[in-house]
Amino acid sequence: MQINLQEIVPDYIDKKNISGSQVWGKNIIIKKGEHLHIVAPSGTGKTSLIHFIYGLRKDYTGNISYDATDIKKLSTESFSSFRQNKISIIFQDLRLFEDQTTRENIEIKRRLHPFHPPEMIDEMAGRLGIETKLSQQVKTCSYGEKQRIAIIRSLMQPFEFLLLDEPYSHLDEVNRKKAMDLIYEECGKRNAAMIFADLKELDFLKGEKVLTL
Amino acid sequence: MELSYKNIEPLIISGKNIFSKWLGYFGLGIGVLLLLFSMQMFINIQQLLKEKSPRKSGYDFISISKNITNENMGKDNSFTNEDLNKLKTYPAIEGLSPLISNQFRVRATAGDVIPFSTDLFLESIDKDFIDTVPPSFTWQPGQSVVPIIFSSDFLEMYNVFAPAQGLPQLSAKTISSINIILECSGPNGTLNFKGNIVALSDRINSLLVPKTFMNWSNLHLSGDTATRVSRVYIKTKDANDPQLISFLDQQNYHLNKDKVKFSRVKSILQNIVSALGIFGILVIVMALVLFSFYLQLMIAKSKDNLRLLLTLGYSPRWLTNSVAKTWLPVYLFIIIGALIITQLLHLLFLQFSFVDKEDLSFLLHWSVWLIAILLLALTVFINSGLVKKELNNII
Repeated sequence: MQINLQEIVPDYIDKKNISGSQVWGKNIIIKKGEHLHIVAPSGTGKTSLIHFIYGLRKDYTGNISYDATDIKKLSTESFSSFRQNKISIIFQDLRLFEDQTTRENIEIKRRLHPFHPPEMIDEMAGRLGIETKLSQQVKTCSYGEKQRIAIIRSLMQPFEFLLLDEPYSHLDEVNRKKAMDLIYEECGKRNAAMIFADLKELDFLKGEKVLTL
Repeated sequence: MELSYKNIEPLIISGKNIFSKWLGYFGLGIGVLLLLFSMQMFINIQQLLKEKSPRKSGYDFISISKNITNENMGKDNSFTNEDLNKLKTYPAIEGLSPLISNQFRVRATAGDVIPFSTDLFLESIDKDFIDTVPPSFTWQPGQSVVPIIFSSDFLEMYNVFAPAQGLPQLSAKTISSINIILECSGPNGTLNFKGNIVALSDRINSLLVPKTFMNWSNLHLSGDTATRVSRVYIKTKDANDPQLISFLDQQNYHLNKDKVKFSRVKSILQNIVSALGIFGILVIVMALVLFSFYLQLMIAKSKDNLRLLLTLGYSPRWLTNSVAKTWLPVYLFIIIGALIITQLLHLLFLQFSFVDKEDLSFLLHWSVWLIAILLLALTVFINSGLVKKELNNII
């Protein structure tokens, strides 16, 4: 599968103001195995772009297609199939079930289409330092812990594309490194592409293809 | 491990509205029970009273005659053509047939088997007005056997006085095998016929012979061609129609409503159980409305969780089916419970009512089962439709 961005411009951005962007109004093809780093300051549309690609919003002109399929024409039923098998996401706002435990949150995603056995939850939680939080309700966790829960949740399914929207904003350097290693490892297992949106270019992402919004 | 509703169950918030859920279950149970029970009772009444009803094709047949008073005693109290025409044109009367009686003397004996003889009267009426007309109820000139339709009330009366007279009591079946000799005599001579009772009538209190026989014998034995009609049967949709009764009263006619009462009792009973059934349907509708409120509230409360599940990749179809399916065991329990209670009530009805148990099956009628299955399908269909609609609203 590949994702094609064809001259997409959010409805809320004037087309005159996109001349400096390497994404808006341009044609971009993202193939399996590629790593794309999208860098932009706050309010320039990183989250919008991630949501457009994931199919959560349609307020843009231009086309986004999964292979040859324009995603604006996909039904919610078809989207669910893509989201189970082809495309995974870490939301900026995390979107966790606050009243459920950490394990339950991760299990809800894992059971949908298990790529890993349940034991993998413990292993990943151990690597990211949240193994003691597995039985706790998510609402009792700190934002940084929640970010790590969202990261593990996104890695429980098969995918060809992983979308990351400022996933490390509340992580310290050590935990960022640990999380990034895990993500690289999991993407490698699947030969998956990674679309990583953040405020600035991260040190450990140097060498990746970087586009500015 | 398979994806199951249990995993997402904690995310579907039922909230504090448990009362309306249980009220909905209770209402549905009561409604289904009322509907099934009233259907079974309707069928029971229909089957029990089927044989005895004088109604035919939804009509009441009633006998009218002129009131005999001290003033008109001894005068000609038969119906004139004018009287008959007036009756015919009255809107509530859908048909009439005069009872024509014999103008000659008839004496009946039962041969040597039963030492019994009596003077009789014979009457004839249009076949459409007789409740039981076997194919053998015909007569042609030259035929020595005359078929007779006998009033079942007369048979009952006979069986009451027969033992005191040293006569054998007779069943409805044996009476047809008795040979009656009809000795018909008039000014023009005497003729003997064999009388054969071919049927019993619940509706008409008389000894009915075919019209062809009555016309032929009146002409040949009495020579009197003028037909005097002292009784008329009318066919009407409702013998209890107050306007009809008032009209007949004004004409000074006597109305024999004994037979009609029976059908009215049956009709009233059926109306009561029908009303019960309609009430049951209303309760079911109300319960389903209550459910839909509960469902809307539940989905509204769980909106964020359901939306997140869809965002994470849960299929809308799977979610709809899973949420809708959670009620299936409840619906099954309610409907099977209502069927069991209906069956028990039906057995109690058989046990304690006056009815002849052979007339009714111990099991519920097939149509009651069918309605129960249809109700189950309907509730499941409505339920999944509602869930689908509500989920579509949040996508």
